[in-house]
Formats: sequence, structure tokens, C-alpha cells
Amino acid sequence: MTGGTADAPSDLIEDYLDRLLLSLSGSPRQVRHTLAEVEAHLRDAVAEGIAAGLPEETAQAQALERIGPVHAVTGRPAGLARPSAALLRRLTLTAALVGGAGFVAIGGAGLVGRLLQALKGNLFMTAPFPPGTYTQADCARWLAGDPGTRSCVTAMLADHAFDFLLQATACGLLGLAGLAAYLYLRRRWNDRATVTALPAGTAEGLGAVLAGIAAVACFAQVADLETVQRGVGAGEPLSLGIAASVAAVAFALTLLRRLRAARMRAT
Amino acid sequence: MKAEKLKGHLDLLLLSVLSRGPGHGYEIITRLKVRSDGVFQLPEGTVYPALHRLEGAGLLASSWDVVAGRRRRIYRLTLAGEAALAEQAAQWREFSGSMARVLGASAGRSPATAGGVA
Repeated sequence: MTGGTADAPSDLIEDYLDRLLLSLSGSPRQVRHTLAEVEAHLRDAVAEGIAAGLPEETAQAQALERIGPVHAVTGRPAGLARPSAALLRRLTLTAALVGGAGFVAIGGAGLVGRLLQALKGNLFMTAPFPPGTYTQADCARWLAGDPGTRSCVTAMLADHAFDFLLQATACGLLGLAGLAAYLYLRRRWNDRATVTALPAGTAEGLGAVLAGIAAVACFAQVADLETVQRGVGAGEPLSLGIAASVAAVAFALTLLRRLRAARMRAT
Repeated sequence: MKAEKLKGHLDLLLLSVLSRGPGHGYEIITRLKVRSDGVFQLPEGTVYPALHRLEGAGLLASSWDVVAGRRRRIYRLTLAGEAALAEQAAQWREFSGSMARVLGASAGRSPATAGGVA
């Protein structure tokens, strides 16, 4: 008989049963029954090993080796396992975290953009449309929004910069809502099956990679605009690149912390 | 013996083990090992999909009981299972008898007979 607690992190049998739960298909009753009989099987095998003089952990490892991989019990190849509710919950959490943080980063880009606008002006933030690609009506609309100027181009730049800041702010608010949803759902879905449905640090790793790619793409665009247009319009990609870099670093640091914690739990 | 070789015969083996009396999964595997003198070693987990399939086909029935302090699913042979066991066992005896005769005939040939005239 094993003395493992219900949620002991080092209990190999519990981990195996978690993986089995995620891979089983069929009605809830079939899943419960299979899980119960496999658990009874494993506990019997562990008890037999302990009776033969093995330490509990060795007896657990031996029982798992004898029963074989999870797909031996499900009778289906590992790759064909249907996504379980726990996996869908974990994917939802991942999407909420990465999406929420991404939108918050765009909101942060709005703040950086506001600073750059104050320091370097609207021409640095956004490039004007080429002459002939806008109408008198467009001009009138831009001038109406900026009564302090008589120049259509100046009014156009102010309008575009304002649009960027407005959209970034909206994204930031959306991101905050996403992160709030993430925190709420994480508290609700704190069961072991959901937590172990994906490897530790998956969301943080994904976030770091996506934010890193976005940062590189934005800075490449800044470099291109600096070279080709002498920096005209470089402010938007620069502010987005700075925000994406901050997000990538934050995700990477959180990932390291998660991996370190997982390693400590394993030892 | 490799698990692959047992795959095609697992149903027959399980029906045969259960013909000696009902049992739960771990007990069935233990009986299988004991009756084969430890020759039939397969990933124990593979027994469960086979048991469930046989139950679905109506050859086994199961019920839950508490044995040695643990809740267990006990499988037993149904009448259809007994008939299937008799049929599959007869087929297996015919097949293995034919195999034995063929292999026996090959093994009994002398090198000179097997190789023709020197």
C-alpha cells in the first residue's frame, strides 16, 4: 500500500493517472471506471513491490514500467488522443495570458509613442500620405480636427498620430481585460489535470518567442525607415518595438522562474 | 515472449483465463503470467482495452466490488464468451497442430535428404 498524499508532486502514480485522464476518451462513466481500475492495478503492483522489499519510489517506477505507456491503456496511438477538457482549459489560459500581455504591450507602446511624439513631433511618429492619394474632403476633415493649423499635411500627421495613440490605448484596455480574465480563470481552473496539461512555462515561452519576433520585426522596420525615409514615420514601429522588447524580457524572466521552480519541485 | 507476438491471441488468452473464474485486471494478468510460467510478458496496460472490447462484444460482463480494501472491476465470462472461447480454442488447436506437423516434418528431414543427392 502506498502512503502518497492525494496531490504529492513527486507521486509518479498520480502523474501517470493525470496523463491517463487527459488521454482517455468515451463517456464520463467509462473514463471514471477505467481510471479507477487502472489506479487499483497500479496500487496493487506498488504494494507487491514494497512487500518484496523495494522502496516506494522504486516500486512505483517498476509498476509504471510494467503497465506500459498511457497509450497502451487507452488502446490508441499517443498522437491520436482527443484534446481533453483539461487541455482546452490550459490552452484557453495560455491564450488569455499571451494575448492579454500582448495587447497590454501595445497599450504600453501607446505611452512610449506619446513620449516620442512630444520629443520628436508627429513627422517622426507617422509618415504622410503621398500627394494625390487623398481628396479635398479628407483634407477638410483633418483640418477640422486640428483648427490650429492651415497645413493639410500637418493636420493629417496629427490625425494619424492621434489614431495610433487611440488604437494603442484601446488595445491596452483590451489587454487588461484579457489579463483579468486570465487571473480569474486561473483561480477557477487550478486543478492538477489543467495545470499539468501542458509543460510548465509553455505560455511564458510562447509569449517570449512571439514578443521577441515582434520586437525584431519592428526594429527592422525602424532601421529601414531611418535609411530610406530619414526616420519619417519611424516612431510607431519604434514604440511598438520597445514595448515588445519589454514584453519579451518579462516573459523570459517569468519563464526562467517557472522552470527553476519546476526543477526544484522535481528534486 | 514479445508482446507483438501475443497481440493476435490476447482475446483468446483472456477468455481462457476467465474461464477458470471471475477476476479483476491485476488478477487476470497475474494468472496469465503464472499459467504461462512467466513466458507471456506484455505491457500490462494493454489488457484493459482488450477487456473493454470483449465486454463491448458481449463476451465478458463486469461488476464492481470491494476486494482487499480496494474498489475493483471484476470480469466474468458470459455464455457468449464461453461459446467464443470454445470456438477460438478449437481453431487454435487446429492451427497449432498443423504448424507442429509442418515444423516436425522439416526438423525430421536429414541433411542429405534436405540437400538432395551430393
